[in-house]
Amino acid sequence: MISKDKEKDLQQPQILSIDDDYSIIRQFIDGDKFAFQILVKRHKEKVRNIIYITMNNSALVDDIAQDVFITVYRNLKHFRFESQFTTWLYRITVNRCKDYLRKMNVRKIFFPIEEGTEVSEYPTPVEDNDISRIVMDAISKLPVKLRMPLILKDIEGFSYQEISETLKCEMGTVKSRIFRGREKLKEILQPLEKELMN
Amino acid sequence: MKKALQNLELLSAYLDNELTQSEKAELEKLLATSLELRKKLEDLKKIKQLGNRVTRIPESPFFETRLMAAIEDQKNETSRIKRWMPAAALAVVTIIIMVVLKFNPGLIDKMWEDQKVAIAGFYKENLQPVLLAANLTNEDVFNFAFNNELPLDNSRQQYLLLGYDDSGKEFFEIRSSHERINRDSYKEFISAMNLDAEQKQTVDSIIGSYSKALEAQVLVNEKNTIAINPNLWNLRKAIFADLLVASEKLNKTKFDRIVPAGISNAEKIVVVNTVEKLKSAYGDQYIFVTPDSIFAESYQFDSKLYEKEMRELEKQIKLNEEEVKQFTLNIRYDSTFRYIDDARNIHSFRIVVDSNICRVDLPDHQIPEILIPDIETIEPLIEQATNSIHFYAYKIPKIEKSENGIKIEYYNDDSVYSYMVDYNMLNIDSLAEANPGLDLYRLDQLKPVKPFDDTMLIKYQYDRDYYHRYYSDDEFKKQMEELQKELQQMSEELKNHKIRVRSEVTKSTKK
Repeated sequence: MISKDKEKDLQQPQILSIDDDYSIIRQFIDGDKFAFQILVKRHKEKVRNIIYITMNNSALVDDIAQDVFITVYRNLKHFRFESQFTTWLYRITVNRCKDYLRKMNVRKIFFPIEEGTEVSEYPTPVEDNDISRIVMDAISKLPVKLRMPLILKDIEGFSYQEISETLKCEMGTVKSRIFRGREKLKEILQPLEKELMN
Repeated sequence: MKKALQNLELLSAYLDNELTQSEKAELEKLLATSLELRKKLEDLKKIKQLGNRVTRIPESPFFETRLMAAIEDQKNETSRIKRWMPAAALAVVTIIIMVVLKFNPGLIDKMWEDQKVAIAGFYKENLQPVLLAANLTNEDVFNFAFNNELPLDNSRQQYLLLGYDDSGKEFFEIRSSHERINRDSYKEFISAMNLDAEQKQTVDSIIGSYSKALEAQVLVNEKNTIAINPNLWNLRKAIFADLLVASEKLNKTKFDRIVPAGISNAEKIVVVNTVEKLKSAYGDQYIFVTPDSIFAESYQFDSKLYEKEMRELEKQIKLNEEEVKQFTLNIRYDSTFRYIDDARNIHSFRIVVDSNICRVDLPDHQIPEILIPDIETIEPLIEQATNSIHFYAYKIPKIEKSENGIKIEYYNDDSVYSYMVDYNMLNIDSLAEANPGLDLYRLDQLKPVKPFDDTMLIKYQYDRDYYHRYYSDDEFKKQMEELQKELQQMSEELKNHKIRVRSEVTKSTKK
């Protein structure tokens, strides 16, 4: 049976704090299997969105997100409470995305026309509701090392510190990559500038 | 240059509010004086704002449920792997054995030759008839003659099935009876032949006279050995033929339907001779099916000695019911039976085992033909009668395929229903396929080709024996109705394609 508090927690994600995640993880380690579901409920949408923008393919989102949370489930008992849970979670997410992208690149060598891909080679003419798609397509053309910090910053609103911990790189590198990412994005979107800016 | 780039990076960080107070103050000073920097800042701001235009992926309400299910699945998989570890170890041992055998191919043969005599002796001990004559019912004997089945234990859990493969070679199967439909074949036969009680008694006595002979054909012992006398195939033919001769005498009108040409005198002589020989001599070769091997060996079954022992045994059975239970046969289908298909040696058995069936194909020399030299002359008679009995008594349809079409006949309510699909010309697609480079304007020059793929009808061409055993009448009726519908539909489709096809359903009454 789920206690009333937990039931409430499952239904309504609350404002998060380190303590919240830490105490839930402790409950999980103590054998409370519902604690894990609370963690998933709290963080799944952010994880799914990072995957969605990074992969630019909605069909892969739930598979990769499932992979991420299964990894979390298996390793949560060894969580050391030294960093935020989310830093660890997003690091796993980013790494899983990188793995998938690598696999997809290998596959593309053998099967050049990838089924179900939502990436188009050139930006298509703009319709009002297509801006999101165009931006995502453009982001997906960025090299992964520029793509990841840019997504975490401009779409997910992470701080440079959080990005540096998630991607395990220096703050200076983060700063430089975000700038280069924006520059590159501008270059990709140049032919569609008029439509986008309108 | 480097300084300019650093300034641009600072601009980007400035937008993100990630500069220290001093960095910020310094940059703002620069911005106040540089139009170019201000323009660059504006550009970067526009790009940054594009991030807000990206729509988020819709929520997935069932994500947790699926995730938890996947986690559960993985847990089970892990435990499955643990459970299969011993099997994996066994696989390793098997591979090692395979490697050994690869370099010593004769090893098993040699071991088998060495052990053969000892093993055969072991399995030949204490063989007894699988069913005592007293326990064989008339239905059992009739079923054996007409449907090739013989029960292998008193509780009828397992059956021995005799058969012929496509090339006419004999095989037998040991089958469990759980999928078998229980039919009163004998009753159906009596009713199809329209025999009264007195006539039935005559048939009963003929059948009864074979139970003693049948008794000695299949022997078993407590080591789960089954010894089958290859003469069983001949005996089945003999019983069948004997019953046919009797049926002709009992009801000539009904019999004519089964064998319209009647039985010639020459055939009757063969039947009498065969029956006589088979009732007195069994032959001394048996096929031994044991839990770990199949072999043919001579074995003398002393019926007189056995009868004496039997009398003793019957006394014991009466005294102690438990004794009977000891003889319940339990062939382990999944034991060490293997595919034994030795192409080099035509005298070997081929064995196929699955969870319900153990099938053994007999090598060439097994069926004793010298003993009954003329038995093959009555085979066409037996075949024709078998088909007619299936058709009239068990109502199993006849399906005849020819180059021009398919004819299906079905007997019900004393009428023969006939479905005929006749096709000389076919649809364009199959013509085009059969005649590459086809000139569609000169279709008349094409020779009629073999019909389109008729797999739809082939699936209705039952193996009659199989049908008879495993489908109930209701099932069959349902299938016939489906077939009728499909035939009509096919005929409609063909009409729509303006293709010359004759499809008709006729009903003829035969009294």
